[in-house]
Amino acid sequence: MRNLLNFLARYNNLIIFLILEGIAFYLLTTGNSYHNSRLLNGVRGITNGINAKIYNTRSYLSLHEINERLAGENVALKNKIAQMVREENSVFLPVNDSINKQQYLHTSAEVIENSINKQKNFFTINKGENQGIKVDMAVTTASGVAGVIVGCSRNYSVAMSVLNLDFKVSARIKSNGYFGSLSWDGRDYKYAILSEIPQHVLVNVGDTIETTGYSAIFPEGIIVGTVDNYEKYGGDFYKISVLLITDFKKLHFVDVIGNMKKKEQLNLEKLYK
Amino acid sequence: MINSVLRFCLIFVLLILLQVLLFNNIEFSGYVNPYVYVMFILLLPIEIPSWLLLLLSFGTGLIIDFFSGSPGMHTSATVLIGFVRPYVLRLVSPRDGYESGSDPSMLAYGFRWFATYTLLMVLIHHTALFYLEVFRFADFFRTLLRVILSTLFSTGFILLIEFYRKGK
Repeated sequence: MRNLLNFLARYNNLIIFLILEGIAFYLLTTGNSYHNSRLLNGVRGITNGINAKIYNTRSYLSLHEINERLAGENVALKNKIAQMVREENSVFLPVNDSINKQQYLHTSAEVIENSINKQKNFFTINKGENQGIKVDMAVTTASGVAGVIVGCSRNYSVAMSVLNLDFKVSARIKSNGYFGSLSWDGRDYKYAILSEIPQHVLVNVGDTIETTGYSAIFPEGIIVGTVDNYEKYGGDFYKISVLLITDFKKLHFVDVIGNMKKKEQLNLEKLYK
Repeated sequence: MINSVLRFCLIFVLLILLQVLLFNNIEFSGYVNPYVYVMFILLLPIEIPSWLLLLLSFGTGLIIDFFSGSPGMHTSATVLIGFVRPYVLRLVSPRDGYESGSDPSMLAYGFRWFATYTLLMVLIHHTALFYLEVFRFADFFRTLLRVILSTLFSTGFILLIEFYRKGK
């Protein structure tokens, strides 16, 4: 017994160190799935409040730019409506069947916390479960892809940014339809890498890259960016550097997109895979 | 005693605010992420009991983690430097040893001593932190470059703050 006490007294620092480091590693390995950790959610509630305040003060500085962008978006939407009205005057009257037709639900949200300088970047938006946000919904800006929701509390959600080493999305070259996997290499917040495009495919600098919709998270045809340059990689593939269309430094307003038919697709795929 | 506890509370709050509001927002080519909150661990009194040092490190890391949304990352790196601090202090000890009851500050032991001490501690912290962040050894040298550049910047900022503190 005395030996044991001696031992503890002698190495108490090391023991405390190991215990604390153990807790830290536990948080590190399990904590990244935000919703699992209730403690974290509680404290995030507090820090989110503070972050929201910081964001509020800061957003005044960029109001002009935001207005400009919203105006642009309005124009685009108005144009779309105008086109639709014309279509409705055609011979075949389209039936607006809201049950079977609408596949994607859009909600807008504001980014209250964001980072681009880490290797695994996340951002927080000001809507959560109460507003119908769920894990694995897609997040986009008016122009392009922004991220995927990974965790929700009641009024906030955390999304994994495209600028995260763990982020992957299926994307294709718009002009010819060849698809590959898009991910970030952790270097520059302006560029992502599109891989798995075979070398016989004709790639041009400036080609548009868009999402495919295969993953059941992102709708088809959301723009990711444009080809900045490409090089041969490995035996058969190109490694394409994509200039991202979304400016992650200025992420303010985002759309959260839920796929209403995702469950159906995934269940079906599970049967045959 | 109470006075010095209050002083450290103030330093703690200021450094956390500085880190969260200012330095967490610095984006400089993705290679430079200064973490100056480490300075709190550096400044604690030399004779602080090790268990308290470890607990304070743990708390500091945890708070930074909550603010930057990276559970466990800063905590483990900060607990590590809390653990190695006595050894680093022994390694860089001045010729006459430390005076009892003194703080490891620039005022007490001079610029060169403080710079070496800071550089060593920050280097250990950043090495742990950045490799935990990527959690893989692919891109080993790129992460190493980030460690080195960020260490230089963090050390620079900490020395600046310390100069300001010394001047007052």
